[in-house]
Amino acid sequence: MRGRPVGIALLMVVIAVVAQTAVFGEGRINPFGASPAVVIVVVLACARYLDPEPSLFLGFTAGMMLDLLGGSPLGLWAMSYTVAVYVGLRFRARAEDGPLVIGVGVFALTLLASALFLIVGTLFGERFFTSTAVIKNTLLPAVYNLAIAAAAFPIVTRLIGDRRRLGWSI
Amino acid sequence: MQSFQRFDRSTSLFIVLLIVAFMLATFDVRADGGGVGTTMRDGAQTLFSPLQEVASAVTRPVVGFIDALSDIASLREENDALRLENESLRSEVQQFDSVQSELEHLRELNDVQVSGDLPSVLARIGSAGSSAFDLARWIDKGSNDGISIGDAVIDEHGLVGRIDLVFDGSARVRLILDPNVTVAVRDTVTNQAGTVTGNNEEALVLRVFDAEDPARAGSVVVTAGSRFPAGIVVGTIAETASDDAGFGLVTTVTTAVSFSKLDFVRVIVGYSPLDARSEGDLLEEAPVPDERTTDTTEPGTESGTGGESS
Repeated sequence: MRGRPVGIALLMVVIAVVAQTAVFGEGRINPFGASPAVVIVVVLACARYLDPEPSLFLGFTAGMMLDLLGGSPLGLWAMSYTVAVYVGLRFRARAEDGPLVIGVGVFALTLLASALFLIVGTLFGERFFTSTAVIKNTLLPAVYNLAIAAAAFPIVTRLIGDRRRLGWSI
Repeated sequence: MQSFQRFDRSTSLFIVLLIVAFMLATFDVRADGGGVGTTMRDGAQTLFSPLQEVASAVTRPVVGFIDALSDIASLREENDALRLENESLRSEVQQFDSVQSELEHLRELNDVQVSGDLPSVLARIGSAGSSAFDLARWIDKGSNDGISIGDAVIDEHGLVGRIDLVFDGSARVRLILDPNVTVAVRDTVTNQAGTVTGNNEEALVLRVFDAEDPARAGSVVVTAGSRFPAGIVVGTIAETASDDAGFGLVTTVTTAVSFSKLDFVRVIVGYSPLDARSEGDLLEEAPVPDERTTDTTEPGTESGTGGESS
């Protein structure tokens, strides 16, 4: 695996993390009380072109950054994003490329990452399920991510997808 | 065959990463705010804070514009909410006179000097959290400014949360919305003590275990004074409730602070639970002095309502 695409992907993830924590969220851009999960979209977009191993590392690193900058125990987002990327890698082996598939994939994997975060977080003592807001906070980011994906995927394709596609098989 | 080997390698890596993440989470939870996780967070804050500040500064006009659009869209709802709030305030004003006289009486009884001169540090929210589930915020002041773990964080409306992690130039605020945060409070109308617990939204759960009087909607709830200084406004009781069955009173409290509009906050520094004040402070709704002063209140006057936990 050449280093340049991985470096660019890492840089994009850092930008996404900064945007996620400084631009979106409570007191920032937060329509209807929820904000898009920008980081997972960028990770999935990069994982479309990177080899499986760098993709998994990228998901783990992105999650760790969110853990370090947030209030949840370390490793929760890292675990959730790693699983989402792994499922995404498996999924791309079977799926036809196309906007619809990408949209469904981004929506489903965002939901998966959030659900895993909630479940594993609960096992580690976090109390996420005390109000019905948890449903809204899980569903809305997945919906918003469809719009974010429409913008992010072409940018990522332009930056790291200009070489021969690795194909859908892992 | 090559495809199989690659699949196998990525699956192995996947499992290793999961184990690492699981161990990190376990150690971090067990370390309870210490250990290697704290060092890593400190490093991440140092690296990301300047980037976050730049991003916030650049996007603030856009955020303001979107916020204004959202305000227009929700004008009708806001009107309704303001109408309700107006009614609530009217009832509050009516109750104020009786509470005021009661308070004067208590002051005379206890011969307690009221002091609102709590030292505080102005700080700005630097990070809005990493997700909608994140009930912690980072501020741009830390131990260099005298902030320490456990300090109360307030804004001009009331209690925001408490400091649960401190570095030299930054600190993490655990919001009172967090279900792991419980605050000892007092109803300013009935003077009954209880606790409020976070509920992941701007409606806290109020529990009064030995309630003789009903909790009336519109009553202001303030900190009772154990871990936090007494008299900081926490919120307003949303629904009238009474202890009919004898198992305690449970109702909801709407927070005084609008967490979606948090920008600047004040951290009350140098307060120790031993400085806990008397009921004399109960109605001081704006403990936000501009200058640092020394707290001279005598210790040992805590009302004994049970401590906050997080």
